[in-house]
Amino acid sequence: MSVLTLRRPGVIPGFGITLGFTLLYLSLIVLIPLSATFFKSTQLGWDSFWATVTAPRVVASYRLSFGAAFLAAAVNLVFGLLVAWVLVRYRFPGRRLIDALVDLPFALPTAVAGIALTALYAPNGWIGQYLEPLGLKVAFTPTGVLVALIFIGLPFVVRTVQPVLQELKPEIEEAAASLGASRRQTFFRVLLPSLWPALLTGFALAFARALGEYGSVIFIAGNMPMVSEITPLLIITKLEQYDYAGATAIAVAMLVISFLLLLIINLLQWWGRRRHR
Amino acid sequence: MSIIIENVNKHFGGFHALQDVDLNIPTGELVALLGPSGCGKTSLLRIIAGLERPDTGSIRFNGEDATRQHVRERGVGFVFQHYALFHHMTVFDNVAFGLTVRPKAERPGKEEIREKVRELLRLVQLEFVADRYPNQLSGGQRQRIALARALAVEPKVLLLDEPFGALDANVRKELRRWLRRLHDEIHVTSVFVTHDQEEAMEVSSQIVVMNKGRIEQVGAPDEVYERPATAFVSRFLGSVNLFHGRVHSGWAHIGDLKAPAPEGAGLVSGAAAVVHLRPHEIDLATEPAGSIGVARVSSILTVGPMIRIELEREGEGREDGPVEVELTRERYLQAPLALGDRVFIRPRNLRVFAGT
Amino acid sequence: MNPTVSPTLNEPVWFRRLLIGVGLAFLGLFLVLPLAAVLTEALRQGLGAYLNALHEPVALAAIKLTLIAAFIAVPLNLVFGVCAAWAIAKFEFRGKSLLITLIDLPFSVSPVIAGLIYVLIFGAQGWFGQWLFEHDVKIIFAVPGIVLATIFVTFPFVARELIPVMEEQGTAEEEAALTLGASGWQTFWRVTLPNIKWGLLYGVILCNARAMGEFGAVSVVSGHIRGETNTLPLHVEILYNEYNFVAAFACASLLALLALVTLAAKSFVEWRGQEQRATVPHLIPAAAPST
Repeated sequence: MSVLTLRRPGVIPGFGITLGFTLLYLSLIVLIPLSATFFKSTQLGWDSFWATVTAPRVVASYRLSFGAAFLAAAVNLVFGLLVAWVLVRYRFPGRRLIDALVDLPFALPTAVAGIALTALYAPNGWIGQYLEPLGLKVAFTPTGVLVALIFIGLPFVVRTVQPVLQELKPEIEEAAASLGASRRQTFFRVLLPSLWPALLTGFALAFARALGEYGSVIFIAGNMPMVSEITPLLIITKLEQYDYAGATAIAVAMLVISFLLLLIINLLQWWGRRRHR
Repeated sequence: MSIIIENVNKHFGGFHALQDVDLNIPTGELVALLGPSGCGKTSLLRIIAGLERPDTGSIRFNGEDATRQHVRERGVGFVFQHYALFHHMTVFDNVAFGLTVRPKAERPGKEEIREKVRELLRLVQLEFVADRYPNQLSGGQRQRIALARALAVEPKVLLLDEPFGALDANVRKELRRWLRRLHDEIHVTSVFVTHDQEEAMEVSSQIVVMNKGRIEQVGAPDEVYERPATAFVSRFLGSVNLFHGRVHSGWAHIGDLKAPAPEGAGLVSGAAAVVHLRPHEIDLATEPAGSIGVARVSSILTVGPMIRIELEREGEGREDGPVEVELTRERYLQAPLALGDRVFIRPRNLRVFAGT
Repeated sequence: MNPTVSPTLNEPVWFRRLLIGVGLAFLGLFLVLPLAAVLTEALRQGLGAYLNALHEPVALAAIKLTLIAAFIAVPLNLVFGVCAAWAIAKFEFRGKSLLITLIDLPFSVSPVIAGLIYVLIFGAQGWFGQWLFEHDVKIIFAVPGIVLATIFVTFPFVARELIPVMEEQGTAEEEAALTLGASGWQTFWRVTLPNIKWGLLYGVILCNARAMGEFGAVSVVSGHIRGETNTLPLHVEILYNEYNFVAAFACASLLALLALVTLAAKSFVEWRGQEQRATVPHLIPAAAPST
C-alpha cells in the first residue's frame, strides 16, 4: 500500500508551475518550430512533395545515409559489445582511462572529428598513405562516410550494454556451467539473450544519430552528388539555393523516419525494462 | 492534543482507500492503526499528517478544524517508514532542520538550537552520533534519529509509519519497549501504523483495527483481543479454528454445542454462524459432553514450553481443515496423547460471528 | 561493483588477451588516433604558428560567440531540466511517458533540421520574416539564431539526467522536510538540490560540451559572417576549407581540449556521484514496502 501512497505526494508543491513551464518551453523551442516544417511542406502540394523527396539525387543520398548509418551501427554493435565486455569483465592497466575515453565522440565537436578523420584517411594522411597503395580509398568516398559514422556512434552500444552486463549476476553463469553448458553455450544461450534489448537499443540509437549526422561527415565525404552526398547535406544545399520548400520536403521525410526510429527505440527500451523485472 | 476524524473518505483512482472513517483519539494516547496491507492505515496516518488530503470529511486537532491546513502548519511530527533522513546532512543537522527552517523571527538562536538538539539526542540516547551521517548508523539508530528529528519541532501530535517495519527482530523488540517508555515520558498524542498485531498489543494504549478502508474496532489491546467485534478482528489478532453452524432462536448450534449468539450482528434464526476458537482455548476430552466436534490426533509437536497438536476432524466441518490446539506442557502431561487418538474438542472460550 | 565469475569459469587467458587487444585496437584506431592527429596537425609548424592562429581577432571573436551561446543555452536548459524533472519525478499525471519522449525528441532530429526549423520561422521567407524585417530584428544569420539552435540541440541533456535521479530518490525526504515546517523553496534548496547535485552537474557538463561544439544546427542559421556569426566550430570549417590547416587544427585543438576536460569532469562527477550513491543505503529498503 505504500506503493499506492508514495507515488501520490499530494503535498509536494510546485506541480503547476514546473509542468506549466516545461510544457511552455517545450512548445516554444521544440514542438512549434518542428511543426513549422510540416506546415511548410504542405504548401508544396503532394505531387511536388513526392517529386522532391524521390528525385534521383535525393534517393541516392538516402541510400548512402541509410546504408552507411546501418553499416556503422552494425560495426558498433559488434565492437561495442566487445568493448563493453572487456571493460566490465577484465582488469588491465588503463582500464578506467579507456572507459572514460569511450565517451569522446559525445564530447568532441563533430567538426573537429571530421577534420581529424580526414587528416588520418586522406591519401597522404597517417593511415591513408598505407591504404592508397592497396587501392583502398577511404576519404572522399562512401567508405569515409562510414568511418565518420562509426566514430560518432561508437559510445552508444557500449554505454547501453555496459550497465546491463554489470548487473548480470555471476550466479547465472555458474548455474549454466553447473548444468553442463560450455562457456560458448553459456554466452550464446544465457548471456546474449539477456543483452539483446540493450544491444538493439544501442544499435538503434547509433543508427538514429548517424542518420542525422552532418558535421563529422561533410569533411571526409567528398560530397559528390549521387555518390558521397548525405541527406542532411542535401538539405543545406537546397537552403543555400533558397529552395526552402525543397529543403523542407526532404527534412520532413527525414523527420518521419527519425520519429519512427524513436518509436522503435522506445519500444526496445520498454521491452528491456520488462525483461529485467 | 486530541484528534477527531469525521467521515473521512479517500479514493486513489478507482480504489476506495478509506470509507466513512470516524475516529476519536484522546489527548496523550498512544494509538496503533493495525491492519493488513492495503487496509488504508497508512493513508489515514498521512491524512492526519496533512500529507494527503481526504476527499470528504474533516480532521480536528483539539476541536479546531485542520482539514485544510498544510502539513507545514499542522505541527505534527512524522516518522517515515524508511526514516527519510536527509542523507547529505549530519545527524545534528537532520535533527536541527525543523528549527533552522523557521522564519527568522521565530528561529531560535544558534546556541539554543545546539542545546535543543543535544537534549533530544540525549533523549534518544544517541549523543555520540551527532557528527555522523545517516548512512553510518544502524537501522535502529536511524529510527531513533528520525524520531528525535520529528520531536525537535515540539509536535502536538507524533505520527509513525510502520516505525519498526525495516528492523530485524531483536532491535525491533527493544525499540518497542523504548518507544513505550518514551511515550510515558513525553506524553504527546501518538499514532503509529503497523501490520504486526503483537507490536500493536505491546506498544499501544488503544488499537484501531482496520480492514478494507474501514475501521473494524477500536479498543484497548485486551479488549480487542478478548472481545473482537468482528470475525475479521478475531482472525487478525491471532490464529483461530473455525467451526460452522446455524442460529436458532438466539442460540448458535455447532455440532452438539449450543452457544449464545450475540445480539445485533445479524444473527437471526436460520442465519449461518461461525465460531472462532483460539488454539489455547481448547481442552481435549475423552467424553463428548460440551464438545464442539470430534477429531483424531494427526501430529504432536513440542514448541518450547507449548505442545502443538494438530487434529483431523471427523464428521462435519472436515472442509474447514485441521484443528490446531496448544497446550502447556504441564496440562499435556496430565493426559498425554498418541497419534491417531480420538478426542473431543471442548472449547473453554468461544466467539460467535455471523456469516460463513 | 563488477561481477567476477569464478576463475574456473572464466575464459582462457589467451582469449581474454585477444579480446582486450581487439577492443583496444578498435578504440585506438577510432578514438586515440583522431585526437593525436588534431594535436600533431595543430603543432605542425611549431608553437609560434599555433599561438598566432589562436590570436587572430576572428578566432577570438569566434571563441567569444561560442562562450556566449553556451552561456545562454546552458542555464536556460538547466532551469528547464530541473522543472521538467521535478514535475515528472515527483508527481503522477497522464501523458507522462509521452512528455518524456517529447523531451528526448531533439536528440533524434538531425542538427541540420534543427537549424532549418528556425529558418522557416524567423528567416526572410519564414512565418515572422516580414514582421522581423519591418522591425529591424535579426534572428537568422545573427546571434539570436545561433543561441536558439544551440538551445534546441542541447535541450534534453539536463532533464534526461535528472529525471531518473529524482525518480530514484522518491519523495520521502521532501515530505519529511515539509512535516518539519520547511517551505517549498527551503525544501528544494536544502533537501532536493543537495541530493541531485551530481546528476545536475553531469547534465550541465554534457550540455555545455554539446553547446560549445555544435556544428550542423549552428551552421544553418549562422550565415558564416566572419568575426560576427561564426562560432569556433564554424571558424574551424572556414579555415579548413581555405586550406589554412594549421590554424584550423589549432582552433580544433582548443575544442579537443574542451572535450578532454569534459571527459575528465564527467568521470570525476560520475565517480563522486557513485560514491554518494554507494553510501546511501536508503535505496535498499525500497524493495520492502508493499507488505
